[in-house]
Amino acid sequence: MIKRNRWLGLALAIMLCVAALNPGPANALPAGFPKTGMVCTPGTSSGGTHTFNLVANTGYIQTPDGNSVLMWSYANGDAPDSGAFQSPGPVLCATQGETVTVNLTNNLTGPQAEAVSVIFPGQDSQVTASGGAPGLFTNEAATGSGTVSYSFVASQPGTYIYQSGTDVSKEVEMGLYGALIVRPAAGANLAYDASTQFDPGREYMLLLAEIDPALHHAVEVGAPYDFNTLRNRYFTINGRSFPDTIQDNGTGLLPTQPYGAMVRIQPNSPTNTNPALIRMLNVGADNHPFHPHGNHTRQIAQDGRPIKVTGSDASTEHFGETIGAGQTEDFLIRWDTQATDSAGLPFNDNWDPNSNPLPVPQPLYANLTFKDGNTWYSGSPYLGYKGTLPTGANSQNICGEWYFPFHSHALNEFANYNEGFGGMGTLLRVDPAGGCFTFPAASAIVGGVLKSGSVTALAVNDTNYYQINPKTTTLTAARTNAQTTLAVSSAAGFPAAGSYFVRVDNEVMQVTGGQGTTTWTVTRAQLGTAAAAHASAAVVSALANDWYASFSSVKAGAANLRVTYRGMNCTGTTGAACAALTTNLPQMTLKVCNWTISGAAGCATATSNGWVTLPAPPAQPQSIGSVEPAPSTWTLPGSAAAYIGTGANQGQVRVLVHTQRWTAANPATFSTWANFLSIAYDLP
Amino acid sequence: MFRKTKILIRIWLAAVVVIGALALNGSHAFAAVVTVELCAVPGTATLTGAFSVPIWGFGIPTTANDCSTATASLPGPLIAVNEGDVVTLTVHNALPAGHSLRLEAPGIAFNPGLPDAASGATVSLSFTAGAPGTYLYESGGDAGRQEAMGLYGALVVNSATVGQAYDNVSTAYDVSSVLVLSQVDPVFNNMADPNSFNMNNYLATYWLVNGKAYPDSAASSISAAAGQRILLRYLNAGYDNTSMMLLGMHQRVLARDGYLRGNPFMANSETIPAGGTEDAIAIMPATAAPSANGFPLYNRNLHVTNGSVAALTYAAPGGMALFIHAPAPDQNIVSAPGSFHIFVPLLTNR
Repeated sequence: MIKRNRWLGLALAIMLCVAALNPGPANALPAGFPKTGMVCTPGTSSGGTHTFNLVANTGYIQTPDGNSVLMWSYANGDAPDSGAFQSPGPVLCATQGETVTVNLTNNLTGPQAEAVSVIFPGQDSQVTASGGAPGLFTNEAATGSGTVSYSFVASQPGTYIYQSGTDVSKEVEMGLYGALIVRPAAGANLAYDASTQFDPGREYMLLLAEIDPALHHAVEVGAPYDFNTLRNRYFTINGRSFPDTIQDNGTGLLPTQPYGAMVRIQPNSPTNTNPALIRMLNVGADNHPFHPHGNHTRQIAQDGRPIKVTGSDASTEHFGETIGAGQTEDFLIRWDTQATDSAGLPFNDNWDPNSNPLPVPQPLYANLTFKDGNTWYSGSPYLGYKGTLPTGANSQNICGEWYFPFHSHALNEFANYNEGFGGMGTLLRVDPAGGCFTFPAASAIVGGVLKSGSVTALAVNDTNYYQINPKTTTLTAARTNAQTTLAVSSAAGFPAAGSYFVRVDNEVMQVTGGQGTTTWTVTRAQLGTAAAAHASAAVVSALANDWYASFSSVKAGAANLRVTYRGMNCTGTTGAACAALTTNLPQMTLKVCNWTISGAAGCATATSNGWVTLPAPPAQPQSIGSVEPAPSTWTLPGSAAAYIGTGANQGQVRVLVHTQRWTAANPATFSTWANFLSIAYDLP
Repeated sequence: MFRKTKILIRIWLAAVVVIGALALNGSHAFAAVVTVELCAVPGTATLTGAFSVPIWGFGIPTTANDCSTATASLPGPLIAVNEGDVVTLTVHNALPAGHSLRLEAPGIAFNPGLPDAASGATVSLSFTAGAPGTYLYESGGDAGRQEAMGLYGALVVNSATVGQAYDNVSTAYDVSSVLVLSQVDPVFNNMADPNSFNMNNYLATYWLVNGKAYPDSAASSISAAAGQRILLRYLNAGYDNTSMMLLGMHQRVLARDGYLRGNPFMANSETIPAGGTEDAIAIMPATAAPSANGFPLYNRNLHVTNGSVAALTYAAPGGMALFIHAPAPDQNIVSAPGSFHIFVPLLTNR
């Protein structure tokens, strides 16, 4: 019965093994479900009645040590699941005031299949049962597809359990349980009243249970079942044991265990003040002392009732709170801070390696060792930054996010059949404010020459600049005011393809052929200038600066790519200070490489066809002179897959900054001073 | 046996009505001097049906100072006194030789005196019932084994204000119930000497409310009319923290270990720690219960079975379960405000 593999640390390899055995995706989730967070089963809502069809049936779950365990559970009887086994039961979400109808069909199979029912602890309005046969606690559905229908008004918002009310010592231990969420009529973004507002994108369920595989085996084979011999070996959150708990909702690795349990939050900020909500339910038989690392959690309710004393808030903060058997507790969690905003309010953990460094030195990375060579640590103590790790250490970190364990502090439960870490544990993941962010790893000038500075100047919004001058060359032969070819001494630094403008003396010409060679075909007298004769050795200047920055190690699966840039343009090509440029301002356009258009070749030069102008807002191009504007951010909604390189350019994002100035009658040369360039994206 | 229990309850209900009527004037007239005499004696307890186990329990001698006239009960007799009473608790140790009794009542401040009584000896401790509340009394002898054998019971100090559990109007109730939670391992109880048992092997198989497992625990089921406030006095005399789930109503947990909480809270499933007491009030709904039995109040640690497969006695449902139900049409229910239960013959001098 029990096949135990030695579990090696955070051995993702084991999970990959499971994947090979069970390639099918879980289907027990509605379309468009999020990867993390609580997922409601829709049911059907009509005329103030919200109906759910549940099917009690038999199936298997997987444990991280390679075991599989027979469970009894409720399944969603509606499409697309149509009764397909899942554990735990569907998350039933209703709105306060709705009549909730739960139709139960008993499809339990096996030698000990028996009548089954549903009870709704915490529902203080009448639960009416119709059909089935009277049982000890409520009406019961007989084996062989017997049915009962339960109905009640969801009168009070809150987090509730539903579970079997029949032979509970067996049926609840076997897995007949699930969560019922009643949202307040006042708003789905409230847990209870206005004081319990949360970020709807960060609503989590942690449903605790235990499993004694010996008892489940007895039910499987028809051996005697004695609840008093209960000896739990597996401890689950949302039907999974760690590390499976941190897999996504609906992962194909765990086809019958659709609910992930990783909690993700971001630091609060002046624009993101609402906490995350964690709904905890203990459907097991044991009390579990649950212990969040990283920050306290604020308990706001128990068993679906706010914690108040004579109407006043009596919520309490905890770093360890026992969730009793059959109990629910709701918690808010925020990520606040060692720092304050301009109003003196705490809003963010803004230790910053540049502007606000930690007052103590970091441990030398070479002195760090990690169990099994694996770590969640980024190598940097700063949120959102990555650092250096010892050679051979394998980091699971994406972009400097932080991970903290959330787990039962009955530490025997933080294990899978005595192998730890495992069991009743998950991770709190603290993402950098605004998502992952990163700075350019490299830069390339594809139209222009370096004036001064380096790519590192782009990482900090300060007074250090990466400065680019327009490319210049010289004529190798004099030209009349009508000739349409130019002979130049070098094409280096000028675009190798596409049409572009150059200036010779006070005439602007457009290069339309011969790009990349020293003989160019041009159209004369462009942009309002007059054709004129030019002497040999006359200076030829590009009218645009083009350079791109490369960001590396962006993870596949990133979404909502955001590009932030700040810079200015100054008159002239020399001088340590920015010479004023306040009229006929250069036009700046930011573009991002879409690798799917022409691969790397599509983003090789300033005019290659793979560059995509970043969509408004803000509008492009922007007029930028020597008065440096505030940083601008452009967003590419949805998947960022097209913008993340593959193959030799794995994980690379390229952003091109094109600046041109050719509207003046007598265009003067200018230099581009880039201050700050970063990308941000939502973590996969 | 079952029928007999039922009859006893009827008699008891009648007695309560009488006593309750006496107390309807709103407060207890004045403090009394109360003497309670108990014997710790071997005996037998019927847990459910015909299943009984040997116990050591407290009993009241019908003849003073003669423990041969005392019958052990599980739990021990309910001792109910009034706030301000001066109480003397006298216990004769009639346990087998070599088993010294230690009288304990956590939360009760006894006047100075030795709590121990060797076999054949007597311990007598007195206290002023200064604080209303729900307390356990028990024997701490034989390193706790005597409690596992059955030497425990409930001691209730009624508030000076009739109809309240504590001296606070938020604890007013209409119906009250004392629920002593415990468990039994028959293998342990059948040992000739409990000290010869390895407690590492203690495996309870009967889970009891007031000494009975379901269905016999239904003797403790509570009858209440719609809207009545039901005071649930939980006492956990067992070894395990015990979660009691009430279906169909929330229970407002208002006191713990005889102390009124500053922050009462609503609960469905409430864990009463081993050795602790809690008081909660639930309000009887006007609507129908989920089954004909009433609203279940049961052990949410899922100990709702009786016996063991090994002893060929396993049965489910069983264990720690009872119901709160509407009164039967012919039932003369206890509804007078301020009714309080004294079903121990108390020797009082007023």
